[in-house]
Parts: sequence; structure tokens; C-alpha cells
Amino acid sequence: MAHGDMRSFLAAIESTGDLIKIDDEVDWDQELSGIGRLGCERNAPTFLFNNIKDYPGWRIACNPIATWRRMAVALGLRPDAPVPELYKTYAEREQHLVPPVKVKDSRCKEVVIPGDKVNLFDLPVPMVHEGDGGRYLGTWDLVVSKDAKSDWVNWGMYRFMVHNERLLTGFPRPTSHLGKMLLDGYVPQGKPMPIAIAIGCDPLSHLAAAATFRIAGNESELAGGLRRAPVELIQCETSDLYVPADAEIVIEAEVYPDRVNQEGPYGEYPGYRSGEMGNAICARVRAITHRKDPILTLDTTGFMDSSATTTSISGAIAIQRRLEANDIPVKAVYVPPEGGVHLAIVSVRKGGADIARKVVETLTVRRALISKVIVVDEDVDVFNIAAVLHAFATKCHPATGIHVTRYVGRANTLTPAYTQEERVTRTGASVAFDATWPPGWAADATPVRATLDSMYSPDIQRRVLARWKALGL
Amino acid sequence: MSKEYEIFARHPERVLSGREVVLTLRDLTPGRSKYRGINVRAVVSRPPRPGEPTLWIRSVVGLRDPKPCSVRIVEELPEAFEAVPYSDFFEAMERAERR
Repeated sequence: MAHGDMRSFLAAIESTGDLIKIDDEVDWDQELSGIGRLGCERNAPTFLFNNIKDYPGWRIACNPIATWRRMAVALGLRPDAPVPELYKTYAEREQHLVPPVKVKDSRCKEVVIPGDKVNLFDLPVPMVHEGDGGRYLGTWDLVVSKDAKSDWVNWGMYRFMVHNERLLTGFPRPTSHLGKMLLDGYVPQGKPMPIAIAIGCDPLSHLAAAATFRIAGNESELAGGLRRAPVELIQCETSDLYVPADAEIVIEAEVYPDRVNQEGPYGEYPGYRSGEMGNAICARVRAITHRKDPILTLDTTGFMDSSATTTSISGAIAIQRRLEANDIPVKAVYVPPEGGVHLAIVSVRKGGADIARKVVETLTVRRALISKVIVVDEDVDVFNIAAVLHAFATKCHPATGIHVTRYVGRANTLTPAYTQEERVTRTGASVAFDATWPPGWAADATPVRATLDSMYSPDIQRRVLARWKALGL
Repeated sequence: MSKEYEIFARHPERVLSGREVVLTLRDLTPGRSKYRGINVRAVVSRPPRPGEPTLWIRSVVGLRDPKPCSVRIVEELPEAFEAVPYSDFFEAMERAERR
């Protein structure tokens, strides 16, 4: 069953032992986020901070679905559901979009602060890491924007930093859907672009916002599909945008078509602070609405943050769909959390150099977030990292099995391996490691894997497994 | 306690040139408004000059130079710089400096 809002989700993960409430005072300046950071690195529960220095009455929930257990609960599954089951659930629900419904009243309007009264420092915006460019309000958010020329409404999860009382800077990448809307539709006309930053919505709405979804697709319908129930939306105070009615906090703003300001640096999901600062967007807040006793949500970005689960699932399914659409005989895709959303494992029914090359070229046509792809044969379980590493180490030809594709203008500026110059020009490369057997090799000469399931007859395998069981192993 | 600021610099030598430069300062005064940004025209000195606020320089990856500076604010500038979104912020500051 879908969780109607963040609070019902927090209650659900408390009941499964995946939430810890902290009532002692904690400092918003690095201490709170340091606890959350360690939580990511140690696969710890969500922390709900109930007592924040300087900000009585405010709470912060940290890393809502940064573990597979909490992702399972968000999807309405048992908390110990295995990862392939989560992938399968997402892939099935993604196929059945559910349109949102509009409502007139909601709790996210319990407090309405008009623009002239807005002070972003009244919110307990955390300083996430020592050495960040500023305090980050948007870490686990849902940013709504609308195309200037069509009905396309985009939800994305983008970082936003507080500059002063009313000014935010943000880094939806220029290749993101929001960036595309801004550059194609608003900047040429010199028009400000309305946005709404919704914070603390139900977890599957945030998952949909973070998802890799098609251009002109409406993520609110994806959220409805994942929830198996429509998302309720309510209109903003200062624009015709609609936001999830269950949001804890909504920041309504306008992105300048002709202004910039400092944004970043910021410790990001690949697990580094890479110095990508210098090219971002700048937005002026026009209103803030929030629930009473609001809960701000925080993703303590870095190694194994929430992207370890959200982008792992949505990115992998998106990769699979794209490869299928390009007639690549893909069987399964896994984006392992430890790879910082830079590594994908793709199993194919027919391998070889041509397929490996086509995989990496297909995945870098418009924007290139994944920089390394390991292509394996279909008998390798993509979720079994030991089996994948074995295939990679032994089957990828060191001279002829590596296929590099280079690009300019669409590289991932957060890729730590890039130089500062490459970041500025968004120049980069992606590589496919072909760990499949060449299709031209005769079956009677192709090496046989020396494992029980490959090098023994079915009869011996059955006998060995029976013996194994009898030994209590 | 004297006031402290920090900046993020791609080219610290520009900041330390001794001439007036355009900077975005982060105000490190403890409290709810800590890390507030302010755009200024200022002169940076190293070693720090007595009586001036302390300034710390961080690199583009956020590492703080352990040697302190001081900053004399000549003029406060508008809260944002003129440039299209995704323009290079450091170049926008340098353009503002030449005006």
C-alpha cells in the first residue's frame, strides 16, 4: 500500500526498526549531517532529528530511502525483500502510469509565507559537509517546472543552496530536463522560469523525481504508478505549477534567465566534492508554504547516499528500456550502489565487440551519466558482484575488449576523474568492458567455467547438493 | 570576536593581487544566518591587516588554505551577476570587476 505522506512512511519504517529518533539537541552546522553521512556509510536507519539547534519546532529526517530495506518498505514490500524483487516491482509498476488528481486544500498550506516575509534562514537548512559552498536546502527534494511551449511538467531532484534570505542557487545540470526547459524555453525569451521545490513528500514521489524518465514524460504519473494510487496535487500560491499536496515544505521561486551566482562546491553522490562549481542557475524565492511542525528532509549526499538505491533502480530500468528500444539483446541491468552511479552491469543474450560498442554508444547519445559499463553473458547474474568481477577479470580482453566512446557537451560534470577543464566544457568519455565470449568462437572451443553449475553434469550437481544439505551446510 | 568570511577561488593569485577584486563572501558569523552570501568589491591582504575582518580562501573542491588573509570591503554589489544561466560564475565575477 502506498504511503500517503512522509509521516506515514516514517511511522512504517519505525515499526520495522529502520528509524531512530534523536531528541537531544543536534547542530545543523555539520553535526547533524555528519551523523547522517556515517549512517549512509554504515547502512544505518533513518535518523529523525527532533531538536535542532537554533530552530525549535523544526525537525529533519535524514536519508529516507537510502537502504534497500527502506526502499522495500516505501514500495510496500517486506523490508528484507531481495534487490532483484525490488527491481522487478519497479519495472512492473513503471509500466502502469497513474495520472495525478488535483485538490483544493492540503496541509502543505497550513503556513503560508509571502515573498516579502520570506527568510530562508528561518528554515533549519543544514551545512551538509565541511567545505561546501553553502547550506543546502534541496538535497532530497522534488523540483517542479513546466515547459514554456507545451504541457510538459517535469519533476526532478536537484540540489539548491541558500545564498541569502531570498536567493537560491542550484545545479540542475544543463543536460537535465529542467536545464533543457530553461535554456530552450525561457532564456531565449528573457523570461523567468517558475519552479517549486517540494520537500518531504511521500517517498515514491521523490523516487519518481529522481528517476531517469523520458523527455516530455510526467513524473507525477510515474509516482502514481509506483504508488499504485494517484498523487494529489495542489496549485502553488504564485504560479500555475502544482506540487504534491502532502509535501512538508514548498519553496516557490523563479529562475532568473539572466543572472548567476556562486553555487557549490558540494560533496555529491559519486562520493566526492569535485569542484564542478561555476556554472549553475539562480532563483529568487516568491513564497514558502509548509505544514505545522514541518519536517525537512535531507540526503547526506556522498558515498552510498540515497542515489545508491533510487538511481540504482530507476537508472538500471531506464538503461534496460533504452537498450531494448535499440534492439540490443539485453537480459538484465544492475547499477551497483557502490559504483556511485557511474557503473552499470549489463547482461546480454548475445555478446561480442559490436554489441558492447553499441551498448555504450546508446547510453551516451543525449547525456552521459554512466561512464563504465561491464557487459556480461546472460549466464552471469548481474546482481552477483563476485560473478561479475570474475567475468570482467577473466573474459574482458585487455587489448581488444575495451571500447571507449568520447563526447563533448554532455559529459557528467560530477565525474571525479575529469579535469577542471573537462568539467567546464562537459567533455568526457564512457567505456564498455566486453566480458562476453566473442560470438564467432566455436562452442566446442570456448572455455568452460570451472564452477559447479558449469563443469558438472546435472546428475552430479543434484548429488552434490543433496550431500551438501545432508551435511547441514 | 572579529568577523570572519570565506571565499571559493579558482585562481587564488587573482584574489591576492592586492587590487580591488569582485568576490562572493560567505559570512561565518555564528547563528542562524551563518554562511550567508554577499557579493562585494574588496581588497584582500595577506598577511592579514589589523582591524580588518579575517578571510579564508577555499579551493574549488572546498579545501581551506591554512594561511589567513584579511578583507576590506569597498562596496557591496547586487546579489547576483549578469549572465545567462550556466555561465561560468568566475568569469561573470571578473566581468563585473572590469565594470
